[in-house]
Amino acid sequence: MWRLLHLFAIAALIGSAAYVYRIKYQVILESEEIVKIKHQMNKTRDEIGVLRAEYEHLARPDRVQELADKLLQMQPLALNQIARPDEIPEKNVSADSLGRKLESLGLGLSASPANGAAGASPSMR
Amino acid sequence: MTEAKPQKPTLRQRLLNGAAAMLSPRLDKGAGRVRQLALILGLAYLALAGKLVHLGLSHEPPPTLKAAADQAAAGSRPDLLDRNGAILATDVKTMSVFAEPRNIIDKDEAVELITAVLPDVDAHELRDRMNSKKGFIWIKRQITAKEQNEIYHLGLPGIGFWPENKRIYPNGPLGAHVLGFVDKDNIGIAGMEKYLDTQGLTDPHVPGFAVDPAALKPVRLSLDLKATHALRDELVQGLDKYKAKAAAGAIIDVNTGEMIALESLPDYDPNDPPDMTKPENKPKINRINVGTYEMGSTFKALTISMALDSGKVTLGSHIDARDSLRSGRFTIHDFHATHRVLTVPEVFTHSSNIGTARMALMVGVPGHQAFLRKMGQLDRLETELPENAKPQIPKRWGELNTMTIAFGQGLNVAPLQALMGVAALVNGGHLMKPTFLMRDEETAMANSQKVVSDQTSESMRYLMRSNATHGSAGFANIEGYYVGGKTGTAQKIVNRHYSNDKVFTTFMAMTPADKPQYLYLVIYDQPEAAPGDYGYHTAAYNAGRVAGALIRRVEPLEGHAPLLAPPAHPFPLIARLGYGADADKVGKE
Repeated sequence: MWRLLHLFAIAALIGSAAYVYRIKYQVILESEEIVKIKHQMNKTRDEIGVLRAEYEHLARPDRVQELADKLLQMQPLALNQIARPDEIPEKNVSADSLGRKLESLGLGLSASPANGAAGASPSMR
Repeated sequence: MTEAKPQKPTLRQRLLNGAAAMLSPRLDKGAGRVRQLALILGLAYLALAGKLVHLGLSHEPPPTLKAAADQAAAGSRPDLLDRNGAILATDVKTMSVFAEPRNIIDKDEAVELITAVLPDVDAHELRDRMNSKKGFIWIKRQITAKEQNEIYHLGLPGIGFWPENKRIYPNGPLGAHVLGFVDKDNIGIAGMEKYLDTQGLTDPHVPGFAVDPAALKPVRLSLDLKATHALRDELVQGLDKYKAKAAAGAIIDVNTGEMIALESLPDYDPNDPPDMTKPENKPKINRINVGTYEMGSTFKALTISMALDSGKVTLGSHIDARDSLRSGRFTIHDFHATHRVLTVPEVFTHSSNIGTARMALMVGVPGHQAFLRKMGQLDRLETELPENAKPQIPKRWGELNTMTIAFGQGLNVAPLQALMGVAALVNGGHLMKPTFLMRDEETAMANSQKVVSDQTSESMRYLMRSNATHGSAGFANIEGYYVGGKTGTAQKIVNRHYSNDKVFTTFMAMTPADKPQYLYLVIYDQPEAAPGDYGYHTAAYNAGRVAGALIRRVEPLEGHAPLLAPPAHPFPLIARLGYGADADKVGKE
């Protein structure tokens, strides 16, 4: 009885030692992985920094201006390009020539008033 | 000899006595011995504890290669951003190659191989340094990836690489005078870069205080990159067109004191900073902060506001400008002589020297000095930028000095100072120190000083507006922005005499004149008349035109659409007194 218990205890001891040993190695492995990832992060962060600087260099105003002068037909903002809301002409209603012809012949679709307002008698400006 | 000390026991006897005593302990003496022993052991333990505490507190790292490299390597600095978040300066990682001379087997061979890869390294000098007693030396800072690869493949022992920070200014010379620059070790030498170091915002570079670069928060400046570009571009074009020696310009937000843009030409690329101690680099100074100049007629704004604020003059007063003003040997003339009695708005729009001199005399010399001191024109103006200059004040300030200073001669101030003064005149009378960092209106107002009354401030806005519609500031009167402005043409002193053909021109313009937000300053040093300008080289023709072009460009960038109609009641306070109901209709006669 006691001997069995002793054997069991010894086995448990060896087993737990082996288990701890394994865990220890796993932890070492994991921490190495963490160090590697940290390095990778730093490297990527540095690369992002370089790319941001490069982007900013490419998007610097003198270069953008040079390209815009060459490639775009834009004008400086001036007062004559701006209008008040009430100066904007009303939306030009697409002329429904066929409908108008029908109406002039007295065959207009008078069923819907909306159609009559929009299509038949466009407000001209 | 032998009987000299007969009673002294010999060593042998003493040892025997001791052994006997140990073998037969005397209990009466035991307690004392135990106490003695306890004391000694206690002291020993105390000493041990002390040493432990000492070891625990001291962070002195063992002298390793890493520490040596860390200390020698360029520290990291926070990014500098503009007010919208665009990068003005940033750190990028580069590799630097170093040597540990003690670990190099054949120094001569190493030097030969390295200089073959890096031809710009001086072989002689490198050999000398290799033979010094140092454990760590730099071979070359900030090498390219290709160079690094080649050196790596030389396979030399005792040669290694260390990552370093290199400061990059992606926009080149834009805003260079505000940003400043750093040296090889990433230490600020000028401008905001130096300011960062004095504020402890950078890696302090002391062993044991290593700062994680990610922990350095970016510093946001008040500059607007796009406005700065527009300013530099217009200044460069003007420099070319008017063949001036130098140019400078600035834009300030008059309600917060934030500097939106600052440029001074000729300038430099902070990526490749100039050696400022060399005489050929002397013109590259920051003219807005460090140069001191006679500001010419722009100073008349200060004189007239002083006269108005003192109550001795109102907008309706008449000033006699019929004859030249004599004082001793000197006679003050008007550049655009009118030979009649002028109203105050006419004194301003005709830029009458006689009129402003008379107004300054009404206030008197002590009052004039006190006012200019209150406006910050007589003391050194210190901003975040380490560069600044002391105004040059006449040693003896008599009536003649007051008369000339009234129209901008005889007192040299930094243009930034004059800008600060005029900003205070138009923003409702709040004098605030210009800043290159972001600041909101509440903070600015809390740190400001009320220098002139609301009514005086409004009168100045009215005068500057009428100067844009009827006076010399017409070139900058860009439709839709309700501009107000003042020109200033100061004659330069050549051989101790005011020259007629060499001038220093300034222009200040504000938008919009009814409730100003931006004050523009443009300066040209020794401009010439452009073809088609009938030989005029006064401020309106160069600085004024450039300011106009600048307003046209910068206002839309800052999100201000031009207004189709001028404001209905731009100047309510003085309108109630019967003046300036409409600045655009001031009679010029």
